[in-house]
Amino acid sequence: MEKVLLAFAAALAVGIPAIATAWAQSRIGAAGAGTLAEKPEMTGTIIILVAIPETMVILGFVVAAMILVMI
Amino acid sequence: MIIKMSKIEMVGPKDQLMDVLELLRNKGVFHPDAEVKGYVHSEDEARIRGLLLNEEAVGEKIFFDKLRIKIIELLNCLPEVPSRTVYLHPIPIIDVLQELVEKHLETCREWQQQCHALRENMDALGRYLRFWSVLEPMVREVNGDSGLKFFGVTIRSVAEIDLLRKALETQTRGRCRLSTENMDDGTIVGLITTDPEMENSLRQLLSAERVPELALPEEFANLPFWEKSSALKRQLEEVSARLSVIERKQQEFSRHWLPIYRRTLDWLEERLALYQATASAYETRQCFVIHGWMASGDVAELRRELNSAFSGKVLTHELEIHQEELDRVPVIMHNPLYFKPFELFARILPLPKYSSYDPTPFLGIFFPLLFGMILGDIGYGLILGLIAALLIYFFPQRNNLCDGAKILGVSAAYATIFGILYGELFGDLGHHLFNLQPIWVERSQAIVPLICFALSVGTAHVLFGLGLGIRYDVKRKRHREALVKAINLLVIFIIGFSLIGTLVPHPWSVTMPLLATLLLLVPILILAGGLLAPLELLKNFGNIISYMRIMAIGLCSVLLADVANRLGGMTGNVIAGFLVAGVLHFFNLLLGVFSPTVHALRLHYVEFFSKFLEFGGRRFEPLSKKPK
Repeated sequence: MEKVLLAFAAALAVGIPAIATAWAQSRIGAAGAGTLAEKPEMTGTIIILVAIPETMVILGFVVAAMILVMI
Repeated sequence: MIIKMSKIEMVGPKDQLMDVLELLRNKGVFHPDAEVKGYVHSEDEARIRGLLLNEEAVGEKIFFDKLRIKIIELLNCLPEVPSRTVYLHPIPIIDVLQELVEKHLETCREWQQQCHALRENMDALGRYLRFWSVLEPMVREVNGDSGLKFFGVTIRSVAEIDLLRKALETQTRGRCRLSTENMDDGTIVGLITTDPEMENSLRQLLSAERVPELALPEEFANLPFWEKSSALKRQLEEVSARLSVIERKQQEFSRHWLPIYRRTLDWLEERLALYQATASAYETRQCFVIHGWMASGDVAELRRELNSAFSGKVLTHELEIHQEELDRVPVIMHNPLYFKPFELFARILPLPKYSSYDPTPFLGIFFPLLFGMILGDIGYGLILGLIAALLIYFFPQRNNLCDGAKILGVSAAYATIFGILYGELFGDLGHHLFNLQPIWVERSQAIVPLICFALSVGTAHVLFGLGLGIRYDVKRKRHREALVKAINLLVIFIIGFSLIGTLVPHPWSVTMPLLATLLLLVPILILAGGLLAPLELLKNFGNIISYMRIMAIGLCSVLLADVANRLGGMTGNVIAGFLVAGVLHFFNLLLGVFSPTVHALRLHYVEFFSKFLEFGGRRFEPLSKKPK
């Protein structure tokens, strides 16, 4: 039972930040697409901005990996 | 790296200003600065004033400007033809050209108007001909000589045909017929046949229903229907012939005059640009003074050229750059061959200030390293290296693509090296086929060691950034900022050592003094950087933790490669297995290029450069000839 709970915790640890990242990236992506229509020279900056929220899911992934390693 | 610049003051006789400006423009190494402050002692400022052109020069400038506008207008009227290059100097013929350009402009405008009218006529005739070629067989079918009345119409859509047919039936009480045909371009053409009594009421109906009637011009309307098509063709040929005659005249004129006018226009624009450059010059009673910036390495050569061209009458002084002027110094970046392609990534950022650092060498050193740590696969590295070589071989002229390929090549080399360390060749395929063993660590099995490794890389990178930041702040005499960064650096060091102290068996006596130092440093940090300084410290830790993406994305990459191999093996067939694994490896390779690139760049732009780079530099814009 404890193993199931740990696996469930790991899934939550990566799943919830994944949803948060997806939401943040959707907002940034939409705004970025609008910006690029007017200023195509901002492409590099927009790619970086879109990549910024990925920190959340990466940290979630690390936490999940550590939980699983403890099983 | 950022080229060393010199602050220049140039002084010479007023009557030689234009010649000096011309020489500077030909050299393209001098960035004029119209700001006097910082160049001239405050007590001398009253003795110099912005240069005012004399009456003769102003008259000449207006003359040139008017001539330029007329020539541009004339060139817009002329067709582009292959023409010879003319080396004629416009000055001896400039007055003649001024008179000629008026006449030529008038003639060319007339030709252009005629061409425009003829082309419109041709378009209309072509349209009529296309419609009539569809309508003619329909009229022939219903017997055109029967005394019936015909209406040619265009119908917007298939759905409207039935609606129109019903409206016609109602209006004419069945005394009409509608035949339709599709044209090649999808337009629907309709022929309405009715008796002459119904003509007016039918026309009203078409107008009310907004169905456009195809009405031929008057000269064709009264012709018998079988002659209309051939008359339209004759007219079209005639108009086309007239157009050809005028176009031939235009081309002949262009071949003769276009090179001369183009050469004159170039000369006029160069001359007017010199007049514009005088706006950045100052004058005393007898001298002109120009201030500006140039690369220190070019000063000696320019001085030599000015001396030989003006017999030592034009003097060039290098002035001292004061601390408060550093933000005004324009920036030129020049990098060695290895770092040059990485300017592609540096260009995404705003220009750094003159006193700051060029981000290119840092990108050149650390970007491929981080890319290699993340991708780390011999197979992927070799494929990417091959792609990079092919791109460089086949597209040597496309600069950005070639630079990107060079970066990819270097990054691929690092990915191969780390692949050897991780013992990965297309994931675990190398292990299965060649018993390839990791020299350092097997990524899919060693999560905790990789987390420690990623954090260590992050700590080293961030600390290096902080070190550079301290150096920059000391150089700019911003001691308080330098102190805050130094305390940040120390705190990170101490916490790092304390963590190591807890991980490995270590005497507590070493960790304890470290923690005591930490307690001492935090109040100093708040005193030096204010209440928000601890937040900045926390941000630095966030930045270090962000480097864990090196492990996370790398782990995803290796697990995807393993999955590709396992799925390929599960098919039980060599060809099917090869295809399945190949497709999955291909997608993993695509991700393996995009993801490490974006994340390695982000680690630089957000985590590393924020510690020491200051943006907002001024672009170096020298007086130079416009590119042809």
